[in-house]
Amino acid sequence: MQNNGEVLIEIKNLKKSYGDHVVLDGINTTIKKGEVIAIVGPSGCGKSTFLRSLNKLERPEAGEIVFEGTDILDKKTNVNKVRQKIGMVFQQFNLFPNKTVLQNIMLAPMKLKGVSAEDSKNRAMELLKRVGLLEKAEAYPDSLSGGQKQRIAIARTMAMNPDVILFDEPTSALDPEMVGEVLEIMRELARDGMTMIVVTHEMGFARDVASRVIFIDQGNIREDSAPEEFFENPKNERLKEFLSKVR
Amino acid sequence: MRGKKKFIPSLSSMANHRKRYLFFTLVLIFSMAFGTMMVSWAKEDEDNSDSGKQNVAEIYSVDDLPGHKIGVQLGTTGDTYASDYEGDDAGTEIIRYNKGADAVQALKQNKIDCVLIDEQPAKAFVAKNPELYILDEEFTIEDYAICVQKGNTELLNQINDSIEALQQDGTIDQVINHYINGTGDTYKSPDDINYTGKITMVTNAGFPPYEYYENGVPTGIDIDIATAIADRMGLELEVLDVEFDSVIVSVQTGKADFGMAGMTVTEERKKNIDFTESYTTSKQVIIVNSGNDAQGNTLMSRIKQSFVEDGRWKYIPQGLLNTLIITIFAGIIGIVLGFLIAMTRVAYDRSDERSPLLKVVNAIIKLYITIFRGTPMMVQLLITYYVIFASVNIKPVIVAVIAFGLNSGAYVAEAIRAGMMSIPIGQFEAGRSLGFTYGQTMKYIIMGQAIKNALPAMCNEFIALLKESSIVGYIGLVDLTKAGDIIRSTTWEAMVPLVSIALIYLIIVTILTYLVGRLERRLKRGAK
Repeated sequence: MQNNGEVLIEIKNLKKSYGDHVVLDGINTTIKKGEVIAIVGPSGCGKSTFLRSLNKLERPEAGEIVFEGTDILDKKTNVNKVRQKIGMVFQQFNLFPNKTVLQNIMLAPMKLKGVSAEDSKNRAMELLKRVGLLEKAEAYPDSLSGGQKQRIAIARTMAMNPDVILFDEPTSALDPEMVGEVLEIMRELARDGMTMIVVTHEMGFARDVASRVIFIDQGNIREDSAPEEFFENPKNERLKEFLSKVR
Repeated sequence: MRGKKKFIPSLSSMANHRKRYLFFTLVLIFSMAFGTMMVSWAKEDEDNSDSGKQNVAEIYSVDDLPGHKIGVQLGTTGDTYASDYEGDDAGTEIIRYNKGADAVQALKQNKIDCVLIDEQPAKAFVAKNPELYILDEEFTIEDYAICVQKGNTELLNQINDSIEALQQDGTIDQVINHYINGTGDTYKSPDDINYTGKITMVTNAGFPPYEYYENGVPTGIDIDIATAIADRMGLELEVLDVEFDSVIVSVQTGKADFGMAGMTVTEERKKNIDFTESYTTSKQVIIVNSGNDAQGNTLMSRIKQSFVEDGRWKYIPQGLLNTLIITIFAGIIGIVLGFLIAMTRVAYDRSDERSPLLKVVNAIIKLYITIFRGTPMMVQLLITYYVIFASVNIKPVIVAVIAFGLNSGAYVAEAIRAGMMSIPIGQFEAGRSLGFTYGQTMKYIIMGQAIKNALPAMCNEFIALLKESSIVGYIGLVDLTKAGDIIRSTTWEAMVPLVSIALIYLIIVTILTYLVGRLERRLKRGAK
């Protein structure tokens, strides 16, 4: 997981506010291929808004997000095409309840990439095997546990072969005993070289898996360093305070 | 894959549930019918042995009218006379009915004390209802005339010429003699006549012997005279049957060429339409109830009278067909329209960059929904017929389909919109984050779930539509309700046709509810 690779996303001066409340206050950072970035910070700090801006689910007011050479905030950019390459996993899983697990995974590749039913099914079964839920292929989401749902959601995102996956607090809605199984899948993804940006409260995960940890507070990045440095030798006062609370 | 056929739910529980539901519904239907019959039988057993020219309300002359409940037909001259008493110190009440027959029915049941109505219909009513009789006292002589649109002197003159000719050759006397005294022949069109076009007469066919239904077609003095007039003009007569108070409006708005409905010439009416020369005269009389019901009809004879005699049952399938046509086609319009509107509304609500076009369309839609949900269906129907399509020659059934379709669209739109808005925003975001466009997300992910959520509300709307279609009689359509009304106004028998029609509605609604229940269960299996 060395990060001397090529630049995948470049974020320049990203700004957003709701009325008087500034949520993103000119964020600048660069994300390289293969990096696993953990974003932490107090609630309401803007970390989710930042993440959701990266695939334009939130619309920043100013700045640039250059993904593989194109600015996705540019009106001329076809954001739907770009989103096919940016996977996203949500806190609430957001599986489609009226479709089976298999249908959930096959839908996007078939409708958006024109992959044949047979090929997309093979790929889906392969992914299900990877997340350890092969036997749930024909089940409906309502019959699954939270951990299982999140693993399916990851498989669904993977089916589009994205270049990066955004995780928006992927374990926050889970019962404690199910957090492990989801983190394990994410750990494997990281090991396989997937670029990941993870908004999380799991400090253990950030320390063990992330290549970089970013602390966001009051709309901007206050600390951005390797995990050892981040947790052992924090420089920002607010981060110190934050770490003392979560530890 | 999970095949649909495998998903027949456990037979025992589901089948039992359905059976029980159907069973209770049927029990309810039959107990209602049975209850109604028992009440009517009990009434038949009452013995009324009073005789002589006594009457229940003790009205013996015009001077006795104050303080009583006077029944009239809305918009008639009887209504005008009676209105003089309205609001007097004696507490006189005027009850206005859409049909003379309804007023008479109410009198029979002593809901009112007397009926003030034209002489000839009064005689026809009394002939069929021995317990009723007409007071000797009479009001002034009135002229009956044909009305045409104001300023249409060409038609007015043509009709006047015809009336004069028909009076001279004795046709009018012959027709009146036939219908009132039962002697002589009706008017028959010449066999060799070649029609060059059509002319529409509007009437209110519940006013014997001037206009009433016989064997499914409007018949009577006015119809015969109108046919004779039309024949002389070389035109084929079409008859439009509406409520009496809509006759003048129909002529004013051009829905019909002329109106003829035992209509008395009054100054008030002259302000809105032009009258021809009078073709006959009449006078207002007072009908009272002697309270001496000699008719001891059994239920069987009532059923026979309502459905078998004169082939009256034929009104029912004819009416049912119209009811179904209106419900189904209006339903289709409603669903298509509602769907499009809901899509637009949600697009507006969910998007943060709204194009000017979307804003305008959304504003129009909001106005549309406000208007159609905020006014009575009846008023909408009348406005569609008499205002919007006033000068367009369009079949009433199409007007009804359009009016009900537009109304239904407003309700269906809100049902589908509610269905869409109830889908968590996360479903939408998941679709968009995979790369689906707004439209694809709607199509592949949201719609299926939204329709399932909206189905119960849409089903209710469809049932409401079926029942609300019962007002189309107001624009001259014979639907199920109007079919019952026609039977009721010719037989004087209220219970059998009304209860029968209620049962038919109930059965259709029960079947619909059952079918939608099945559909809902099938859809539910997907999610769970």
